[in-house]
Amino acid sequence: MQPGYFPANVLFILIFVAANAFFLFTAYKLYRILRLGKPEDRFDRTSERIKSVVTFVLGQRRVIREPAGWGHFFIFWGFVIITIGSIETFGVGIYHGFAYWKFLGKGLTNVLYLLQDLFCTAVVVALCVALYRRFVVKPERLRYEDQKATNQDACIIIGLILVLILLLFGARAAEYLLAQGEANRYFPRLAFVSVAFSRLFAGLTKEGLQAWYSICWWGHTVVILGFLIYIPFSKHLHLLGAIPNVFFRRLGSVGELSKMDLEDETAETYGISTIEEFTWKQLLDLYACTECGRCSDNCPATLTGKPLSPKLTIHHLKEHLQAKGKMLLAQQGAAEAASVNPEGELVKALIGDICQHDELWSCTTCGNCMEHCPVFIEHVDKYVDMRRYLVLMESNFSPEVQNVMRNWETNSNPWGLGFATRGDWAEGLPVKTLAEDSQVEYLYYVGCAGSFDERAKKISSALVTLLNEAGVSFGILGAEEKCCGETARRLGNEYLFQSMATELVEIINSYGVKKIITACPHGYNSLKNEYPQFGAKWEVYHHSEFLATLLRDGQLQPQQTMNKNLVFHDSCYLGRYNDLYEEPRTLLKSIRGLKLSEMERSRNKSFCCGAGGGRMWMEETLGDQKINDARTDQALKLEPDIIGVCCPFCTTMFEDGLKTCDMDEEVKVYDIAEILAETVTSEKE
Amino acid sequence: MNIVVLVKQVPDTETKIKIGADGKSIETSEIKWVMNPYDEYAVEAALRLQDSVGASVTILSMGPERTVESIRTALAMGADTGVLVDDPATEGSDGLGKAKVLAAALKSLEFDLVFCGHRAVDSDENQVGIMVAELAGIPHLGLAVSAEVTDGKVKVQRPIEGAKVTMEAILPALVTFGGAHAVWNPRYASLPGIMKAKKKPLETKTLADLGLSADEVGAQAAKVSVTAMEMPQERQPGRKLEGDTVEKAKELTRLLHEEAKVI
Repeated sequence: MQPGYFPANVLFILIFVAANAFFLFTAYKLYRILRLGKPEDRFDRTSERIKSVVTFVLGQRRVIREPAGWGHFFIFWGFVIITIGSIETFGVGIYHGFAYWKFLGKGLTNVLYLLQDLFCTAVVVALCVALYRRFVVKPERLRYEDQKATNQDACIIIGLILVLILLLFGARAAEYLLAQGEANRYFPRLAFVSVAFSRLFAGLTKEGLQAWYSICWWGHTVVILGFLIYIPFSKHLHLLGAIPNVFFRRLGSVGELSKMDLEDETAETYGISTIEEFTWKQLLDLYACTECGRCSDNCPATLTGKPLSPKLTIHHLKEHLQAKGKMLLAQQGAAEAASVNPEGELVKALIGDICQHDELWSCTTCGNCMEHCPVFIEHVDKYVDMRRYLVLMESNFSPEVQNVMRNWETNSNPWGLGFATRGDWAEGLPVKTLAEDSQVEYLYYVGCAGSFDERAKKISSALVTLLNEAGVSFGILGAEEKCCGETARRLGNEYLFQSMATELVEIINSYGVKKIITACPHGYNSLKNEYPQFGAKWEVYHHSEFLATLLRDGQLQPQQTMNKNLVFHDSCYLGRYNDLYEEPRTLLKSIRGLKLSEMERSRNKSFCCGAGGGRMWMEETLGDQKINDARTDQALKLEPDIIGVCCPFCTTMFEDGLKTCDMDEEVKVYDIAEILAETVTSEKE
Repeated sequence: MNIVVLVKQVPDTETKIKIGADGKSIETSEIKWVMNPYDEYAVEAALRLQDSVGASVTILSMGPERTVESIRTALAMGADTGVLVDDPATEGSDGLGKAKVLAAALKSLEFDLVFCGHRAVDSDENQVGIMVAELAGIPHLGLAVSAEVTDGKVKVQRPIEGAKVTMEAILPALVTFGGAHAVWNPRYASLPGIMKAKKKPLETKTLADLGLSADEVGAQAAKVSVTAMEMPQERQPGRKLEGDTVEKAKELTRLLHEEAKVI
């Protein structure tokens, strides 16, 4: 069956068409399942989206953040280059005389063949490393409940690629020998690996070579087509899912939650309780997952033994989607509905069977999973969407959460302290309320912690000192201020959040405020990135960036030396959510004598303090360690005098962590504003 | 079965109370009004019966227009209808006057059970529920922490020192509820509940509608009146003793002896 000659070419065309038809049929089914999802607009900013694909797919920017990613880099590019070669291979299958050199010229074909040989070799090396990693190193993140099935899947994939590359080399080697001395045949000699392989066939007759060539060619072709068929059924579905997922990724602020339509009187349910209620993009995320496990590698809940692993959440959702999706499509089809097994996937509850309650409530919304996902899966809003269902439809949440929600409702702060006392912290301080003077340039939005929490009040007063020192024209709302509702929103109470947000926007706008400073990253993210959903048009600054600007412009000048070792902790909502990594560091570096130490998990890898996503207000009873204790341990490894933070919640969590390990005398927790206030002012006193 | 729950609107317990210019009332301008917590337990108890044996739950309250908000809260939790007696003439009425108004309003409603908190956390008089039972001529069970209905009887449990008593009464009856938030965990209204509550029937009545006049139940009829209010004395801040354990102990002994004069 010499390839390209009758009847081999007819056979080849039949196999080729059949394999592609099967593949397209499966892909179309996957597409239809995706279309079960709700609409979502991700079709804006096309040029930015194309750029994303170039950077993160072609450039593999996120994949190569880790050493193991380089293996993927070569496999990916090897795959692309092999595919270019496959076109020629398939061409030969139709007509034996088809060859690239006839179109591209001998020079270019040599380069192409050289590249193919190089990348094929690199792929073989990368695959060996991958096998070594999976079976010898066994990193935690490659662990799955059904390890055997996962390993089997990986072996099939790795095996198929290895075999198809070796067969390619075989076919090429035979081709090289066959081309010797034939005027109408040509083989690019730069393909040195193929040439080297030809030693295997040394001494064979022309007929022998021809036979080996046919065997290798057919083997290679069949494996490629088999691979094509296998892709959608394996974790290599990501070959189809990842590229569109990168293209359609969220371009605006990370983790911005969708604004629910609560006015819609026809709505029968709120939040998400079935898989098909997710949007198509949320479902596409599931197709894109490669099961690499980087999300769980960085998840504070996973790492402290909580019943949450973002990797497994996505994996379970994906399996459920595929199983339930097929059944739903069958139902849509016709009267087959009755024949669908009622015990099967259709009756499984998304919340309870597929995702567990503790899983949803363990998320701190820190965004580390999303930050490290090479294909931009958006995990956090899925958890929040399911929380929304539990909260809005079933009022199903822990008593302590109910308590804090009531406190927000009655007094607009999580502690439930009297709303009229909100401005009391500022009594006796040189700060005006907007009611007293609305002509100020900046509103200092203090937030709940800064207003009511004894510890955080000190941060507020330090910031007031600094702003006055720098001569900034600012005021506060005082008793008129309201909670921003950020935490209520992340706990799933969109109704409460929207009523709070509407109220706060109204108050702030009534004073014609244009610019806002705040010391709370949660309020900052909320006012800056989510309040525009409610008509807010303000410039919002976190105090770290604002103070950094004042320092740069010379409006503040640290006078005092501080000979201390400070470990800086990046807040999730400042760093990952808003990309402010340098500003607090610039500020700290401006202080003479201060040694700035960095934890292993710092900047975009920063480990949550454990308070985000409403966890601040929940008991932490699950897992083998509290998240704040784990983070405190990480900081203490650097033997600091000070743990530097820039969020009132982080302050509380670290102070609690230090008390737990009885280090609260030796190590102090300070907000960057407190540190700066100390060095700026004490000389004058 | 029909259950009427008496609900009073009170200042939130975290409200910063300020005494009014007259020295015998509080300033109401900066107050956040909420449903009396014990009445909320009564609502929860009624809704549990609604869930278990089926019942129609009516919320009955008296007060100014703002009281509607608390009634809607109970409706959002799951109650079916609301009645508000809103009449400026009831301003200044005492416990008995209020009980008369509520008892008169009850006459126009069908009920097998009347539930309410054993007291309201504003003036803490512990009277209205019991008086309503008396005026309506029905038995009263007090300080319940549970309520069941079987065979035309209501059975409740009431904690006493170190134990619980179980009591029952023949319907119709009035039960006042005790316990605490952690005992009852009153339900949090779901969003559909809140949406539906906006459309549930809520009737407003005046004294005239109930066949009462101001001199029967208003300020003039009050047998009890508040004559003066004063704030509790401000507590002195605590003092932290410095030094090692021995020094601290010595200083503490000295202070207890010389300043506090307790040893």
